[in-house]
Amino acid sequence: MTFGLPATGAPGAAGVTWLGSLALLSSLALLGSLALLLPGSALAQLNLSGEWTGRYHEDTDDRVPGDVQGDFTGVPLNDAARRYAEAFDVTRVAVLEHQCQPYNMPHIYRGPLQFRMWEEKDPANQDIIAYRQYIGTYMQSRTIWMDGRPHPPGHAPHTHMGFSTGRWNGDILTVYTTHIKKEFYRRSGIPSSDLTTVVEHYIRRGNLLSHVMIITDPVYLSEPYVLSQEFVLMERGNTNWLYNCEYVMEVPMDKNDVPHYLPGANPFITDFSEKFGLPFEAVIGGAEAMYPEYMPRIEALINEQAR
Amino acid sequence: MSVRVNRRIAGRVFGLLVPAVVLAVLVDDGALAHHSFAATYNEDETITIEGTVLQFQFRNPHSFVHVQAPDENGEMHRWAVEWANPSQLTGQGVGAATLKPGDVVRITGAPGRDPADHRLVLRYLLRPADGYEYGNDPNETFD
Repeated sequence: MTFGLPATGAPGAAGVTWLGSLALLSSLALLGSLALLLPGSALAQLNLSGEWTGRYHEDTDDRVPGDVQGDFTGVPLNDAARRYAEAFDVTRVAVLEHQCQPYNMPHIYRGPLQFRMWEEKDPANQDIIAYRQYIGTYMQSRTIWMDGRPHPPGHAPHTHMGFSTGRWNGDILTVYTTHIKKEFYRRSGIPSSDLTTVVEHYIRRGNLLSHVMIITDPVYLSEPYVLSQEFVLMERGNTNWLYNCEYVMEVPMDKNDVPHYLPGANPFITDFSEKFGLPFEAVIGGAEAMYPEYMPRIEALINEQAR
Repeated sequence: MSVRVNRRIAGRVFGLLVPAVVLAVLVDDGALAHHSFAATYNEDETITIEGTVLQFQFRNPHSFVHVQAPDENGEMHRWAVEWANPSQLTGQGVGAATLKPGDVVRITGAPGRDPADHRLVLRYLLRPADGYEYGNDPNETFD
C-alpha cells in the first residue's frame, strides 16, 4: 500500500551492499524476536481515543481571526492557484450555497475545532477495524480504515472528509486520504482540487497530540504542502458538538451574483504585502519563496522598493 | 426619527483589542474560523448607523441584524450587520428574542470593504428605548 509520498530519490539507497543488507536484516530479526519475548503489550498501540481540542499558538493569526486579503505566504501554490486566488472575493462566503459549506479534510484541522476519536473493533477478535472521528466544526464524520482495504477507484464519489486508510508506524498513526472534495487551503482563496491526497501523522505524547499533514495536489500545488497543528486532550469533554448552520440572505444581493474579480481587477490583492512591508512577488511566490535560499531575492526586492 | 451616519478613523483600537481578547474568549466553535473579519471589513474605520431592525438572524455561522437606516447621504438602505454565532452570543446573554423587528437601534462597527454592500461588523449596539446595550463589557467581543 503506497502512501502517495512524492517519488524523490532516497539518498544512499544505491550504496547499500549485499553484506550490509544481510547484517541489517539479521539485526532486525533479533530485535523482533526479543520484542516478542517481552511480557505485556509489546505490540499494543497508543490509545488515541478521547475528545481533543486545538491549540493555536502556531500560525494563530491565519488560523483564528484571519488577516487582511492577499496572504499567500507559506503555500507552494502554482500559477493556476495564483490565478484562482487573485479572482477570489472573500465575501463569496455570503453566497447562499457557500454559507454552510464545510471545510474539507486538509482545511478543517487548521481552524478552531474539537474532535472526538474512538476505536471500532471487530467483536469476534477485538482487532481494530477503524478509527472514527466526529468533528464538531460543520459536524463532520471521518472513518480511518485499519483493515487493509483498498481505496476506491478514482471516479468514486468524493466527500468533504475523503476516504482514509491507516497503519501504525511504531507509535505514530499514519493515515492516507483520497477522494476529497474540492475546497480551499486558506481563507485567502488558495484552492484545493479534487485530486488532493493527504498523508497524516498522529503523534501522541501524554495528553498532547501532534497532527502533521503532508498535502499533495497536482492541480494547484507545485510540491507537497506540510502543515502541523497541536491538540490537547479535554479532561471534561466538550459541551458544544452541534453546528446547526442555516441558509439565510446575510447581505442583500441578487441570489445569482457570485462575488469575484476579473484578472488584474482585485483591489485588495496587495493588502497583506503592504501591511507587512513585503514585496508582493515574495508573498505570492509559492515554493521558491518558502526556503532560506530566497532571502537574497527578498533583500533585492526590498531595496528596489526603497529606491 | 433623526438618523445620522458618522464616519471617523478609529485608529487601531479594535485591531489591538481583538487579538488580545480573542484567545481569552475563544469558545469551542468552528464558526470563529468561518471567514476573516480583517479581510471583509475596514477594521481601521468605524461607522454608526441608527435605524429600525428588520430582521435578526440568530444562526450559524454568524448572526446578522438587518437594519433599515440611511447612509451618510440620507439615502435609506438595508444594512447587514454581522454579529457572533449563537454559541458565543448565548454565553454573552444574547438570545433569538433579544432583538425584534421594529426595535430602533444604534449600531457602531467597522464597515465592509465594499461600501456598496452596506454592511458592517457589530462592535457596539444600543437600544435607546430601554437602554439595552452590547459591546461595553470587555467580554462582549467575538471573531
